[in-house]
Amino acid sequence: MAKYGMVIDISRCTGCRACMEACKVENNTPQGSFFMYVFRFEEGEYPNTRIWFMPRPCMHCDNPPCVKVCPVGARYKMAEGFTATDWDRCIGCRYCEVACPYGVNYFNWRNPAESHYLNWEDDREIELILDGEVLPYANPDLELEYGPEMRHNAGGGRLKGVVEKCTFCIHRVENGLDPACAANCPTNALHFGDLEDPESEASQILHEQSGFQYLEDVGAEPRVHYVGGHPPTTETREIEIVNVRV
Amino acid sequence: MRFNTEQLPFGVASLSRKWQAAILILVGFISFGVYAYSRQWSEGLIVTGLRDIGTMGGAAWGLYISFDIYFVGVSFAGITLAALIRLLNLKQLKPISRMAEVVTVISLILAGLTILPDLGQPVRGLTNLFRYARPQSPFFGTFTLVISGYLFGSMVYLYLDVRRDAAIMAQKSSRFQSLYKLIAAGYRDTPAERARHSTTSLWLSIAILPLLITAHSTLGFVFGLQAGRPGWFGSLQAPAFVIMAGISGIGVLMIITAILRKVLGLEEQLKPEIFKWMGNFTIILILTYLYFMVVDWLTGSYAAAPHEARVSDAILIGEYAWLFWGVVLTLVVSAGILISPYLPSPKIIENPNFRRTTRRLARATGTFTIALLAVLAIEVFNPTEQAVIGLPTTFMQWLPLAAAILALLSIVSYIPFLRESIIARSVLSGILVNLAAIAKRYLIVVPSQTHGTLLPYNVGSYSPTWVEYSIILGLLAFGVLLFITFLKIFPIMEVEASKSDPIVERKPGPETGLTTRSILSLGLVVIGFALQFVSYFFLAAPIGIPTNESFSNPRLPYSPALFIGGVMLVFLAAIVYELFPEREVS
Repeated sequence: MAKYGMVIDISRCTGCRACMEACKVENNTPQGSFFMYVFRFEEGEYPNTRIWFMPRPCMHCDNPPCVKVCPVGARYKMAEGFTATDWDRCIGCRYCEVACPYGVNYFNWRNPAESHYLNWEDDREIELILDGEVLPYANPDLELEYGPEMRHNAGGGRLKGVVEKCTFCIHRVENGLDPACAANCPTNALHFGDLEDPESEASQILHEQSGFQYLEDVGAEPRVHYVGGHPPTTETREIEIVNVRV
Repeated sequence: MRFNTEQLPFGVASLSRKWQAAILILVGFISFGVYAYSRQWSEGLIVTGLRDIGTMGGAAWGLYISFDIYFVGVSFAGITLAALIRLLNLKQLKPISRMAEVVTVISLILAGLTILPDLGQPVRGLTNLFRYARPQSPFFGTFTLVISGYLFGSMVYLYLDVRRDAAIMAQKSSRFQSLYKLIAAGYRDTPAERARHSTTSLWLSIAILPLLITAHSTLGFVFGLQAGRPGWFGSLQAPAFVIMAGISGIGVLMIITAILRKVLGLEEQLKPEIFKWMGNFTIILILTYLYFMVVDWLTGSYAAAPHEARVSDAILIGEYAWLFWGVVLTLVVSAGILISPYLPSPKIIENPNFRRTTRRLARATGTFTIALLAVLAIEVFNPTEQAVIGLPTTFMQWLPLAAAILALLSIVSYIPFLRESIIARSVLSGILVNLAAIAKRYLIVVPSQTHGTLLPYNVGSYSPTWVEYSIILGLLAFGVLLFITFLKIFPIMEVEASKSDPIVERKPGPETGLTTRSILSLGLVVIGFALQFVSYFFLAAPIGIPTNESFSNPRLPYSPALFIGGVMLVFLAAIVYELFPEREVS
């Protein structure tokens, strides 16, 4: 059985955030919810500064704090390496969110339809913008159930009051595709694949270059590896104030 | 039909105008809370101040969780005290034993209710927790042991305690007579029955004490086990929770005892010694807690990792400093108030000029404090988007501290009065320690989320909205209403049965060795524990590093409900032991 993971080449990332955009389109996430997020960092003092970028998907940890604390088993670990969320079982206590060291969880604070960039449920608004030319489209793949247990674990923007996060695009991976972020990266910085298989591109890159797992000392054993750079230090600061509230 | 309700003791079943007014006001607060919750129900938690940790720069847990911990904390003192009174035979505290039990039951009900507004899907919460709850989640302990087991255990304890009184009250005609008969369940106050009650209450006390420590520690574990949250991760969380639980619980009890003493005219029964005992116990607990805070502060700032240091800086000198130092000040002052009679009296207090000046000072500061709090209240309970007064946020944050400091200053002028009256000391320190407890709970929950992200996210912020405040206020009012209802249905203290009452039939029944009764209840205890053991270790979701899906599903659906059933069976054994019909002795 494949055990999926991601290898991110920091030296290739240009901070274009195409992965974030692709993720939003693919997973239908509401405003303020970033399953994939790219940090834009700055280090050093002027004039000796360096700017670098660090994509942050869900780490899909092998020893996931979020799975351990979930009171109802809505957050669970799949044998293929996915750390998945069953949005059909989640009670919305947000314990996974406070337990996660990486801050990758997003709660639906209101009905996602109202939080979307376009309110599909408000017909008049859509009429006005699209003039009836484009019909609302929902990816039917997101409605299906995945994994051997067949649970509702794909996509985002589901319903009010549940927690969602990066799914590693399980609906694409099960159909033999790469996650949307990796597939759309223009510089090939994101490599998704079977980390147990020595032939896969991801594990070859990991084999060639020395990498790191972010926050290794927390012991969550992330399945996302970084190569071509170093983890952020206390000297690293974000170049922008990100406070995307809904 | 009119009942003569005059004979019932402790004002039971009589509703004077004042009581009716009190109930009306409480119902008003509850309705506003329900209205606030209806907003949240229809629009989602967007109406609260909570937001996602990380890119959204918020806190996912806030006022609801803080108050949930606070309520569970308050419950601690009640049943502990009741159990200690029974175990250590503290006769002088016997009059407050039942009050303590009622406080426990009510605060646990409130704790259970507070969880619901925090859930995004409350209906799913009610079903899925019973169906899927995983022992590995610290919430399992909170949900099963604290809310279910502990609440049920306390209710059994309370029930068996009021049974004798119900039997006595059932003798008199009143509007609750049939209810009393039902509750008394054939109790006739025979020596055998008394002996049985003494046995069960002893065993219940023994059973409840370890459950207590476990239950309150579990709540500490909800936070203390999270390695990914600087400021939470630590072994001190669980014991500190237990100590703070004791402080706030006894504080509530001191206030309630003082109020009932005045309202029901119980000066005879509730002697100052009771307050003295509670006060001294509180002093010890406060000192212990202050010691814990110092230890915590040293660990968090001496040579801590940068992330730990960021959280502790935010608390000690940063955004939350006003609250933290407010807590320290409040705890020190309340300990000082309780200690004051043991200290030598400074001459200046006797000086009439000093007294006059300080009294004026108190009046002025008191008025000013009330005005400040009114300003704050207008902003806090404002359901509209726009600010009414539009003061800057930092000012609004320091406002409560300013009010608190002024209020504390005005206490100085009451020192002579406080030195004389132990009741005043107890009430004042009871109020202060509870404010400190609520603030400390908030300081545990929130700063680690806004300032304790391990990734270099920006610093977050959280300020509760009117919805959160209103729901909490409604819950508090609901708690008071429950207490009043209890007061009006049951006597708050043990009733003395008069000699002429036919209830006391001294007919010794032979009760030795293994009777059907004891076998039956012992069997229930054994089955209960077995059920707990089996459902926890074998039927619920497995414990371990969750490498695959099997860790998310119970091996038998609804096994968490089975576990709760096991906990309940153990306590049910006490009821069976006491209520099992006596064989007729010929």
